[in-house]
Amino acid sequence: MEGEETYLELFLARCAAQDDLAPPRSPLLSPIVPYDVYIPNSSNPETTFNSQLEEVTETSGNFSSVDLSFLPDELTQEDKDQTLIRSKHETEENCKTKSWQSGLPLPSQQDVGLALNSSGGSNSHSHLHPGDADSAQPSPEKPLSLPLASITPMTPVTPVSECSGIVPQLQNIVSTVNLACKLDLKKIALHAKNAEYNPKRFAAVIMRIREPRTTALIFSSGKMVCTGAKSEELSRLAARKYARVVQKLGFPARFLDFKIQNMVGSCDVRFPIRLEGLVLTHQQFSSYEPELFPGLIYRMVKPRIVLLIFVSGKVVLTGAKERSEIYEAFENIYPILKGFKKT
Amino acid sequence: MNNTAASPMSTATSSSGRSTGKSVSFAAELQSMMFSLGDSRRPLHETAVLVEDVVHTQLINLQAAEVSQLRGARVISAEDLLFLIRKDKKKLRRLLKYMFFRDYKSKIVKGIDEDDLLEDKLSGSNNANKRQKIAQDFLNSIDQTGELLAMFEDDEIDEVKQERMERAERQTRIMDSAQYAEFCESRQLSFSKKASKFRDWLDCSSLEIKPNVVAMEILAYLAYETVAQLVDLALLVRQDMVTKAGDPFSHAISATFIQYHSSAESTAACGGEAHSDAIQPCHIREAVRRYSHKIGPLSPFTSAYRRNGMAFLAC
Repeated sequence: MEGEETYLELFLARCAAQDDLAPPRSPLLSPIVPYDVYIPNSSNPETTFNSQLEEVTETSGNFSSVDLSFLPDELTQEDKDQTLIRSKHETEENCKTKSWQSGLPLPSQQDVGLALNSSGGSNSHSHLHPGDADSAQPSPEKPLSLPLASITPMTPVTPVSECSGIVPQLQNIVSTVNLACKLDLKKIALHAKNAEYNPKRFAAVIMRIREPRTTALIFSSGKMVCTGAKSEELSRLAARKYARVVQKLGFPARFLDFKIQNMVGSCDVRFPIRLEGLVLTHQQFSSYEPELFPGLIYRMVKPRIVLLIFVSGKVVLTGAKERSEIYEAFENIYPILKGFKKT
Repeated sequence: MNNTAASPMSTATSSSGRSTGKSVSFAAELQSMMFSLGDSRRPLHETAVLVEDVVHTQLINLQAAEVSQLRGARVISAEDLLFLIRKDKKKLRRLLKYMFFRDYKSKIVKGIDEDDLLEDKLSGSNNANKRQKIAQDFLNSIDQTGELLAMFEDDEIDEVKQERMERAERQTRIMDSAQYAEFCESRQLSFSKKASKFRDWLDCSSLEIKPNVVAMEILAYLAYETVAQLVDLALLVRQDMVTKAGDPFSHAISATFIQYHSSAESTAACGGEAHSDAIQPCHIREAVRRYSHKIGPLSPFTSAYRRNGMAFLAC
């Protein structure tokens, strides 16, 4: 416990020094990213926070030889995550200006409760101005409650009248990373658990791990594809675990150019949609061939996302490189879908 | 029913003796398909059987096997079918768009499910845009005037498809959600979903040269297009048959039906149908007759594939 507490202090000190918010980091480490689910976690902030730290210490410990190459990645990742969190919060703020639909009652109640908790804190400012230096040292239990705490926006936000109140859930993330060393696939397949290698069929090792439940394709050039994770952080974590496995087998594996290639999200608008009407009015974007595929394929231009829209009201969004693109695409399509609601 | 009346189908030899004792029948599926294409909620069984017959005859008479034989190939492939359709620009374009859409859809669906992604990688061959490549390579090889290749860039609106979309939209607007759910299910029916039944229906096993997978997809698509065309035309015919007050040509139009309806009663029966009722076999027959009888100065020269004196609806 000693070691972990000091690590916590160091961690928080580092974050404060960088003018970063410690709180947004913890939700990212949480395995369940959609915030309508992780709010219940905030009731046990200490344990969840510490368990995240355990994971971090564990992984960082074993990569003692390649720690340095990790750090730059993490720093830039944090910046990127800040913008993601910011845009996510903006959408959240927009939603709050309108009364919530019955779809997500739990988060809104929790929001109000948490807002009351930290309404006095300076942290409510820091959400909309994360660059500000006045993000004071928050105590461990605050972090997880903060992201949704602020109900009164500090900057005037134009209310989006058609805000959906529905958040697409990420289903699959495909990422690539370069281990930067030539690999002997046969050796990997022989010594690693859960590895398949059939050179006649495909020139890569297929490895799977249970936590996070993902699959990786490892090529002899050192490049690796990781699929199946449900969030960006999980994909990154899984990729690091695979890299560690390769490292343990004696290869000088590094962790270069980690990049998310594709993100898939899905959600349900909860009403049936009249696809014939949609394909007619949005001809230049949509294709609908029910004999071939039961869903309508909608190619949104901005952001460049492909949406599969089904009669039942389920929507699948794919082709995103960032989470914000999925949210934005869904917010764009929602009013259109409402127009074709089948009563 | 094939051998009665001056039906163009009776000239085709393969259709005789087929109406009874046929084990594989798509009549039930066809009824659903016709509903999804614009027919009433419960299309008539006789109409479905007739449509099945027409489609079957047309596909058999494509004689794609002969084309492959000419080529010296061992299987009927997509190229042979593309060759047969090359004359009709609009239909060719529609077929190409269908093929591209199929490629595009598999690409997207693959990206969503990680298992699909792995399977595709494991299968080794580069499956992306497979059909598009086949089509492009082939048209490249036979194109003399550059017209066919221009088709790939062609972005004109397909009027027939547009009309079908509008009709579907009108139909679905007035449905409630239960009816709409049923409609959607019917729309999803296709010949390609029942591939093995489709193969038996076409009696592929008796052919020397069999079609490959992509060719079967195209054949299923052609069958579906034929049904769609028949419904389109039959709806037009039915609309014509309803005598509108003040229409100056109504007496002339009704004259074309005389060969089928000997008695005044059946004319009245056909003509008196409300719009919402099902398409009758007489509509279908009239539609086929009109389609194969192209009026115009160049009609003997326009249709290049009148092997048995029958025009092809799908191509």
